[in-house]
Amino acid sequence: MVVCSIPMELERIPVAEEVVRQLRAAVGERNCISDPEQLRTYECDGLTSFRAPPGVVVVPGSTEEVVKVVRIARAAGLPIVPRGSGTGLSGGAMPIPGCVLVSLARMRRIVAIDLKNGTMRVEPGVINLDVSKRLAPDGYYYAPDPSSQSVCTIGGNVAENSGGAHCLKYGFTVNHVLGARCVLADGTVVDIGGPVLDGPGYDLLGVLVGSEGTLCIVTEVTLRILRKPEATRTFFATFPSTDEAGNAVSRIIAAGIVPAAIEMMDRLAIVAIKAATGVDWPDVGGALLMDADGCAAEVEHVASRAAQIAKECGALQVRLPKDEAERQTMWKGRKSAFAAVGRISPNYVVQDGVIPRSEIAKVLREIEALSKSSGLRIANVFHAGDGNLHPLVLYDEKVPGQEALAEQTGGEILRVCIRVGGSITGEHGVGADKAPYMGELFSESDLDSMAKVRCAFDPDAVMNPGKVFPTPRLCGDKPGKYVPHPTETRDEAGRG
Amino acid sequence: MSAVLEPRTIEEAAAMLPSAGRVQFVGGATELELGAPLGPVDSVLRTSGLSRIVEYNPSDMIVVAEAGVTMARLQATVRAEGQTLALDPPMPDRATVGGVVATGAFGPRRARYGGVRDLIIGVTIVRADGAVSKGGGKVVKNVAGFDLPKVACGSLGTLGLVASATFRLHPVPEASATMVVRGLGPERVVQVAVGLRDAQLEPTSVCALRDDGKYDLGIRFEGFAAGVEQQARKAAELFGCYRAGDAEAFWKRHDEVRTGGPLRVKVAALPTDFARIDAALPQSLRVAFYPTLGLGFAAGTAFPSELATARASLREAGGSLVVQAGLPPGFDAWGPVPQSFPLMERLKRNFDPERRLNPGRFLGGL
Repeated sequence: MVVCSIPMELERIPVAEEVVRQLRAAVGERNCISDPEQLRTYECDGLTSFRAPPGVVVVPGSTEEVVKVVRIARAAGLPIVPRGSGTGLSGGAMPIPGCVLVSLARMRRIVAIDLKNGTMRVEPGVINLDVSKRLAPDGYYYAPDPSSQSVCTIGGNVAENSGGAHCLKYGFTVNHVLGARCVLADGTVVDIGGPVLDGPGYDLLGVLVGSEGTLCIVTEVTLRILRKPEATRTFFATFPSTDEAGNAVSRIIAAGIVPAAIEMMDRLAIVAIKAATGVDWPDVGGALLMDADGCAAEVEHVASRAAQIAKECGALQVRLPKDEAERQTMWKGRKSAFAAVGRISPNYVVQDGVIPRSEIAKVLREIEALSKSSGLRIANVFHAGDGNLHPLVLYDEKVPGQEALAEQTGGEILRVCIRVGGSITGEHGVGADKAPYMGELFSESDLDSMAKVRCAFDPDAVMNPGKVFPTPRLCGDKPGKYVPHPTETRDEAGRG
Repeated sequence: MSAVLEPRTIEEAAAMLPSAGRVQFVGGATELELGAPLGPVDSVLRTSGLSRIVEYNPSDMIVVAEAGVTMARLQATVRAEGQTLALDPPMPDRATVGGVVATGAFGPRRARYGGVRDLIIGVTIVRADGAVSKGGGKVVKNVAGFDLPKVACGSLGTLGLVASATFRLHPVPEASATMVVRGLGPERVVQVAVGLRDAQLEPTSVCALRDDGKYDLGIRFEGFAAGVEQQARKAAELFGCYRAGDAEAFWKRHDEVRTGGPLRVKVAALPTDFARIDAALPQSLRVAFYPTLGLGFAAGTAFPSELATARASLREAGGSLVVQAGLPPGFDAWGPVPQSFPLMERLKRNFDPERRLNPGRFLGGL
């Protein structure tokens, strides 16, 4: 576990008693939290080194209650921060001091399932994996599978445009969301998109997904659901180093194969996963875990061809799971990699850079150099098929200066990603964590156009302010007349 | 008389736009009638000079192309490396990258690969004020910042000139087979579409063509030969379809409907509402419908009153009807605006406050 190393000095900005009373009336006594001790539960998301106490937490149970909450917050001039399960790793759901934090955890109804049209309507608090579990008896599933899928919510997935191992073939949340019911910053309820494709007008849904709670609060989502593929074949291959493993990935893809997923782990990650889960993987320099799915004959062909390529590329061993249970164990090993690293290091920083696939070997060498120069160990787990790296920079908070060094090293890795033409985030989002790097990836004009989109939804920037954009941006024509909210000037919810 | 602007670079386009007045964007001119009629303009900006394939990296399977590059040229370039952009709108010889993005154009392969919005990973737009803005990037997996590429898709250039786009590519399939079954009613078309999914078949295209009342259904499987063979066999057993000796002929018929006229409309409804669509569309129209998507096109001639009835029927079921070409006088090309229209108006106002870009053509006069 990453634990906040330095006690937060930020004081809570209390919310006026009258506002709390109104919020209680709106959502019910039990669903409004203002006790300072209880509020601490909500002061960070999965990025626990970023903390700030919310002013008040509300847990509405319906769209109507969300509308009431938004209206009360607006009338009181308070910023609003939406939150799902709080598993995000970029501080997207981190409160800003004095905000009204809106948890969607109680809104977890599955509203409707339409198998014939391949759609499903759910409330935002529904857990990702529960969607697929509910559909399993009918042979359907929901494709996006972030590693946190057993705890993260659909609403959070929509906010972050979550990916997962299988998005290589199937795409991201944005490719699987057909519609959303939104409560805008002025309390208006708007339905965007829906089960019928191509509604006339701008693709508002395309920008809403992945907007990290900065545009509105989503209170219902229409999902695209898929029929389970006829067959899935998995293999696990070990290599002397990540060089051979990376080469195998490139050659598999060059052979015209689109794996459902292809994941890579380096030596340190394998050691950690073994320590945490007890999988019987050998100590090797690199490993690949690949899924192929689709119709049986094709999968058979693809899996054997990919295994053959792995061998040609120097695989030490290619292992096929003997049954579904072993397959699940293999994937569980991979998906628990982040937590597993906790077994070999007291603390770590997770990064989420993306690079062109062809740059994998080069970037891994640069990461190794950064590890040497910083003296910090770096474990690498990544979605190799789409070049999405998750370097884990290991450190010990008890060693003075190491946390700062780890964060700095993580930042250097992001700069490497930018330099080779990649991105600072593939699936974790920008949030509060990576907002400072946005100006290195995008020009002023790029950010200005994004701000124009934001302003169409939320002209006063009250929804999750301080996230995504590197500096506060205004909605007028000329910069310079922005007057921050009093709570915002005190928003120095720094690191750790 | 409107001035003709022919920028050769994105920078030139950026220099031209602030003083271009009201401006029409023209790419391959394949969809100039889509939507409402263009209002008066001061300039016409042709994208033909923005003709560079900026970057093609086969090992990363991405391509960056400027607006004026034709789909055919783009496909030929990537095909040389065994790759394809899985976007197959009609008239690839004329349709351009910019136009395909701006109109949200698609073809039958959308059934498997999604539409433009699902394949675009980066965009460069030039706003009315001359600002050049990028969104997305050159990697497929990327959640940094708002997804401007998706906002550009289907915007008809009314938020900015789509100056270049970056796409993800797919491998050219090893084998392809089109299975055909003829003379179906619309209910049976829906049954087969649902049945394909139930049977775990994964066609890359499914299209129902109506010429004289009944539908001919084409189901295309693509991929490695072993998989294509297995799926074709299974489809034949389940649905009584047979392998078209002249697969090309079936898809040629499809293209004829997609490019037909003088009137051409796009229809959308839930896939299971296909019978409603069929009943709503006058028999005078030829129809190409993608039953797994719930989208289709109809071309021919029809009275405005018939179109109004068809639209009302589709809207009642949550669908839409948009005129793509041959707009009858007095008929509203887009139909009533959706509930989210105020957001769209604000978006337009923020990007193009003077409403100078392709004025009048988009939904609600935007």
